[in-house]
Amino acid sequence: MSIVGECLVAFIFGSLVGLLVQRSRFCNTAALRDAILFKTYRNTKALLVAMMILTFGFTLFLTFGEGHQMHFDVGLNTFAGLFLFGVGMVLAGACTVSTWVKTGEGNLGALWALLFTFIGMFLFSLVWSVNYWPPAPDSMNGQPNWEALQLGFANARTLQDKLGVPAIVFGLVQMAALFAIYRAILRKEARQAVHGRNTAKNYRTEAAAEAAE
Amino acid sequence: MEFFKKTLDPVIALIAIAVLDIFLFLIVGAWTVGGGETMMTGLIAKVFMGDALDRLPFWQLVFVPSAGYWKIYISLGMLFGAFVGAVLSKEFYVRYPRRLSEWVMITVGGLLMGIGIRLAFVCNVSTFFGLTPEMNLGGYLAVSGILAGAWVGSFVYKKVLEA
Repeated sequence: MSIVGECLVAFIFGSLVGLLVQRSRFCNTAALRDAILFKTYRNTKALLVAMMILTFGFTLFLTFGEGHQMHFDVGLNTFAGLFLFGVGMVLAGACTVSTWVKTGEGNLGALWALLFTFIGMFLFSLVWSVNYWPPAPDSMNGQPNWEALQLGFANARTLQDKLGVPAIVFGLVQMAALFAIYRAILRKEARQAVHGRNTAKNYRTEAAAEAAE
Repeated sequence: MEFFKKTLDPVIALIAIAVLDIFLFLIVGAWTVGGGETMMTGLIAKVFMGDALDRLPFWQLVFVPSAGYWKIYISLGMLFGAFVGAVLSKEFYVRYPRRLSEWVMITVGGLLMGIGIRLAFVCNVSTFFGLTPEMNLGGYLAVSGILAGAWVGSFVYKKVLEA
């Protein structure tokens, strides 16, 4: 596909995602923060459903060698980078998606977060230009590189190539694990609802008793 | 139109996004935001710094600034789609945080997000909507990292709110 075609497809995809996220108020930050802080799971459930569908779709196509998989080595930097990102997104109250979506709604705080994301990236480029870590994509070979704290590259397709088991089989196992988390959340919500009703009932009973006195 | 009057169930929205993401995976690659943002950073830096940017190896070896990078247009599309959605549902208005502490948290949070994305080579979108569904080892490292980070961030956020 031509470069213009790729950019056009990306823009159409982005526009539809922006519209759907704006109308649904979905937020990846809230999916994690609300589950941790407030024990509410509106966004967490949506995220899990999407991950189940994507796991099925991606591993199905990877089984047949189709699709453009993400291909780069991972290591300590992957964990450390997302750790910093996780702290940052909760403090900023937005992730990469919601900064763009909220900016589109006229939120200047989100635009400010976006600006400082860019500044953070530029600051990192200064540091990288001195220490060259993590290794540049061109120097990655998919194998562990302990000196650079890199574990290499592995996904459902490499498992298929190594073990001879179709990637979709691993995908189905991951889907089952994601579904187990989803079901645990539904059960927790059911318990919360019962607790909420009992608390309200007790409150009404106490209020009635006080009124009778 | 009903779509612009009521809030859409996020489960329905994310099912639609997942299906679209599978098509994108087949055409160009899975949904990602961090890569496009980095390229935009490079393009903006190029405007301000000109050829001086070429002296930084990062912009020669990792990201060579190019406006033809498809990932940029996902972000611009999200901005456009959200703007259209907000205008049509009469939810567009200029708003901003009122307290200084919020501005400080957003500034620090934004910086950490930018540094974190570049350190990891991935953002939260690639983590949940690309790497992990491909069962990439990096997906599990990234999910562990973002959960630990969100937990620490939530602790700090709570302390700031209480203060």
